[in-house]
Amino acid sequence: MIETGYMQVLAAAALAVLAIVLAKVKAIPVGKEIAFGTVRSFVQLVAVGYALEFIFNTKSFWLVALSVAVMTVVGAYTAAQRAKHFTGGFFIALISISAGSLVTLGLMLALRIITPEARYIIPLAGMIISNTMNAGAVTFDRISSDLKDHRLAVETALALGKTWRQASLRFYRNAVKAGMISILNFMKTVGIVALPGAMTGMILAGASPLEAVLIQVIVGYMLISSVSIASILAGEMAIRRFFNAAEQFVG
Amino acid sequence: MSCHNTVVLETRHAGRQIIKNGNAIRTVDNVSYAFNKAHIYNLIGPSGAGKSSLLRLLNRLDEPTEGEVRFFDKPLAEYPPTELRRMVSMLFQTPYLFPGTVRDNLQFCCCDLTDDKIGQLLTRVGLDESFAGKDADDLSGGERQRVAIARALSLEPEVLLLDEPTASLDPTSSQTIEDLILRLSEELCLTTIIVTHHPNQALRLGGETLFLVKGRLVETGKTEKVLKDPETELARKYINRELR
Repeated sequence: MIETGYMQVLAAAALAVLAIVLAKVKAIPVGKEIAFGTVRSFVQLVAVGYALEFIFNTKSFWLVALSVAVMTVVGAYTAAQRAKHFTGGFFIALISISAGSLVTLGLMLALRIITPEARYIIPLAGMIISNTMNAGAVTFDRISSDLKDHRLAVETALALGKTWRQASLRFYRNAVKAGMISILNFMKTVGIVALPGAMTGMILAGASPLEAVLIQVIVGYMLISSVSIASILAGEMAIRRFFNAAEQFVG
Repeated sequence: MSCHNTVVLETRHAGRQIIKNGNAIRTVDNVSYAFNKAHIYNLIGPSGAGKSSLLRLLNRLDEPTEGEVRFFDKPLAEYPPTELRRMVSMLFQTPYLFPGTVRDNLQFCCCDLTDDKIGQLLTRVGLDESFAGKDADDLSGGERQRVAIARALSLEPEVLLLDEPTASLDPTSSQTIEDLILRLSEELCLTTIIVTHHPNQALRLGGETLFLVKGRLVETGKTEKVLKDPETELARKYINRELR
């Protein structure tokens, strides 16, 4: 097992320098962004590392809850940036991400898959929140674009006496499916196209491949559950924003 | 079936104001008019006159911001919107057919529609019964419009609202649709309100004409009278230009 320390990180930074040189040689205007990203990711991750060390050592429930809450709020804010054509995107994202996280983590605790310790809760919540955030953002984006592009289809159905739900059902389903597509593709190709990050990290850290695989399977199931909950809720709440009580399309 | 001269739809000082790019725009302005059963009404006027906007108020696809619209003497808001729209059916300028066959489209409103009934609907709009199995995507513009009318008729509506139904059709298909509108109005006692840009089309359809400018009702009356002997200068100029 190779020891990992700051010297190794510094050596690995040579790889980022290689990317900057390549960008410079080919005149691709991303050199500054790579340099900034290299430094920024180092600072952010080291800061998180210290924060996690502190939280793990204090074993405070409130600190764990605060960490998860901050991640959720930032995730909801990011997903809401895709809610351009309707109001309340932040709250919809907040509710869907929270529900996806709480139900999934709650079930994992109830089924004794994990124990209520910071070292489980925080990394798993991070994975769930980032995945549900992406799912919510894609769902928002798809609902907005589909309803705008298919206004005639929606209004034709309304004009023929259909309810807003009937008129928009296929666009809702498409949007929710689009939100889940990333995790569905991941589950189809996991282990064949790529070894996932969590599993690779465990193997690099010295865990047995079989143990890493079992953890990865659990993570996969956890993500499909949380992403499904978040996409469905985000879709349900977002699509309602395009219609009023008089079954009129107001998007 | 007997057709009565009862008022089906009525607008009372109906108006609608929308906010576009920060500016208030009045799309329909203080329109009062009573539409009788089994009559044909042409809504005519220049672009932006509020013809389509008025049509959308009549089956509550949009809400008036002033005044009211009544259906059989009851405010539209007293009807459940889905029920109202089955009685006051609307077709858009570009007919939208849902993915699938003509049969699928006809069964969109009433899923228990039998093959016999589908055949009757197709015959009524001048299409052969064999059209039922055709893919909606394979139809011509005129055929699409007729299927859309048949689909609306499957609801057995009291009123048919048509937003420029011949705008994208060739002269022959336009003529077919006009004949169909005349026939349906007579056979089914259907109240038909049609938006058109063309005074000639309104003359062929007859009935009554409402001439709108900037959302306001400028002139109304028998189509022959409004289009051949308009009282207002606005209407005269527009009609002369369009008839030229």
